[in-house]
Amino acid sequence: MNSWERIGVIFRKETVDNWRDRRSLFSTLAYALIGPGMILLMIVILGGIFRTEAEKPLELPVAGQENAPNLIAFLKQNNVAVVDAPADPQAAVRNGDIVLALVIPAEYGEAFTMGQPASVQLLVDSSRTSASPDVSRARQLLQAYSGQIGTLRLLARGVNLNVINAVSLEEVDVSTPQSQAFIFLNMLPYFLIMTVFLGGMAAIIDATAGERERGSLEPLLINPAARWEFVVGKLLASVPFAVVTILFTLVAFGLIFTFVPTEKFIGMRLTVDVVALGAVFLICLPMILLASATQMIVATFAHSFKEAQTYLGWLPLIPALPGLALAFLPVKSDLWTMLIPTFGQQLLINQLIRGEVVNPTNIVVSTVMTLALSAILIYIAIRLYNREQILFVKSSG
Amino acid sequence: MIQVTNLHKSFGEVRALQGVSFAAHDGQITGLLGPNGAGKTTTLRVLYTLLTPDDGAASVDGFDARHDAMEVQRHIGALPDARGLYTRLTARENIRYYGQLQGLKGAALEDQIEGLIKLLDMDAIADRRTDGFSTGERLKVAIARALVHNPKNVLLDEPTNGLDVMGARAMRDVIRRLRDARHCVLFSSHIMQEVAALCDRIVIIAHGRVMSDGTPDELRQATGKESLEDAFVAIIGSEEGLER
Repeated sequence: MNSWERIGVIFRKETVDNWRDRRSLFSTLAYALIGPGMILLMIVILGGIFRTEAEKPLELPVAGQENAPNLIAFLKQNNVAVVDAPADPQAAVRNGDIVLALVIPAEYGEAFTMGQPASVQLLVDSSRTSASPDVSRARQLLQAYSGQIGTLRLLARGVNLNVINAVSLEEVDVSTPQSQAFIFLNMLPYFLIMTVFLGGMAAIIDATAGERERGSLEPLLINPAARWEFVVGKLLASVPFAVVTILFTLVAFGLIFTFVPTEKFIGMRLTVDVVALGAVFLICLPMILLASATQMIVATFAHSFKEAQTYLGWLPLIPALPGLALAFLPVKSDLWTMLIPTFGQQLLINQLIRGEVVNPTNIVVSTVMTLALSAILIYIAIRLYNREQILFVKSSG
Repeated sequence: MIQVTNLHKSFGEVRALQGVSFAAHDGQITGLLGPNGAGKTTTLRVLYTLLTPDDGAASVDGFDARHDAMEVQRHIGALPDARGLYTRLTARENIRYYGQLQGLKGAALEDQIEGLIKLLDMDAIADRRTDGFSTGERLKVAIARALVHNPKNVLLDEPTNGLDVMGARAMRDVIRRLRDARHCVLFSSHIMQEVAALCDRIVIIAHGRVMSDGTPDELRQATGKESLEDAFVAIIGSEEGLER
């Protein structure tokens, strides 16, 4: 009987044992749905907000409408629903009864006729961020009106309009609708890393801290197998669970983008290519070993199943948080980023989901780096299991 | 055949073993008697290669525990202090796992398991998951998996711990049958009556040292006591940590 046969025996036992642990299995799969669920929720809720805000008329309470009939007419032409402001508009804005109000003082008409700057007041509460799209729309409209009147006045005095346009600004938005909507997909690498760490976690804890807590580690280690064989067998047994969990998450993502009518919520269809999802799956595979080896080392120091669970629950945040930051601070997939295990993969996943061309060198480098780090961690785990203290990490001493 | 020579082992400040030497022979039951904390479990752990002695040597059938650990493990069956089972596996699966780790497979393994199930009267529980087993049922599974490869040497650490009267009696029967089948049986206990009733040879250990080593008759003669239990107390010098 050689080492690999014994590793096979250990692998099969751990797989069967953990497969029968239905409670852990189902809770892992339920956790794996959190990512796809969150993204779906964001599309439905945030998408809904963006879309309706842009289309519905801006409701603008105005005090002193009679003082500026032309301005009111201009606003109405520009999709503004002008309503009467409450008696004390300042208090109403401060209390949040209305998000903004326009106050046109009685002196407005006089100043306007004299050609003086006629002041109006836009009442806002800058601490209320939900109001900001409305506020900026109102501000833009008022500035547009001011610009329009100013231009007309210059024209009336025979001034060539080009003299006031020192710089001509033309904004060209190059983002496709697809890339704007990708803000939702930027969360995907974060959730996938969580899944990679989560998938095999129950199996690893059961095979390490759980084994010790049950009192089955001492008799197990009396069997004629080298410690490295136990470590490798137990580590490999976590892989099928992680693979299934990752597949489960990716299929859930795929189904969401295939069957949920995203165009209803964000005005466009979000699609994810099946081939891209397949590539994402393959890129995740080397990270499973990394996750399991790290968890094995951490769980070795835990006194109990519960303690191991607490430590390992936090562990995925370390590699996943940079990925979350990526959703807001885009980093280009340069070669150096591929040298950092898990970070490189998150960039690659991002590229694949966006349908960008991925540099094969980057895939190779990130995979090799991840496997190399995994090998080092597995070596450390084996060293830990070779120590005789492995039996005695027990809270009772 | 188990041979232990001048074992020393310390854990930090605690000197668990300070020169333990004895031998246990085939076809004999050798008892390792001593109060709790005397060094019995540490000695056994050195024998099943989980601990490396600071000094001295332990060997099983001529294989050195330090340098030939895997061979030693093939030649022993052990019921250690911790005897947890896999609760999601059946009794039979628990035993089979250890058999496979010992290199058995196929019909030979299944026959061996079936034989142990009969020997230990486990038919009713063999294909149930071990979750919810009584202490006695768990112990039977632990014994069966330790014996699955039919080891020549059997090491039992306080085998009757937690058993009721019936269970303890059944356990003693198993130990005697192993002796009759020419196994070398080494078991530790702090229960004097049990050691007196079972053992062909008794090693008395206290404070990490062997206080006395011999057959029951030799121990009685050396102390001049009529009862074996009085002889034990005389040798150790106190009854503390022992049970009559």
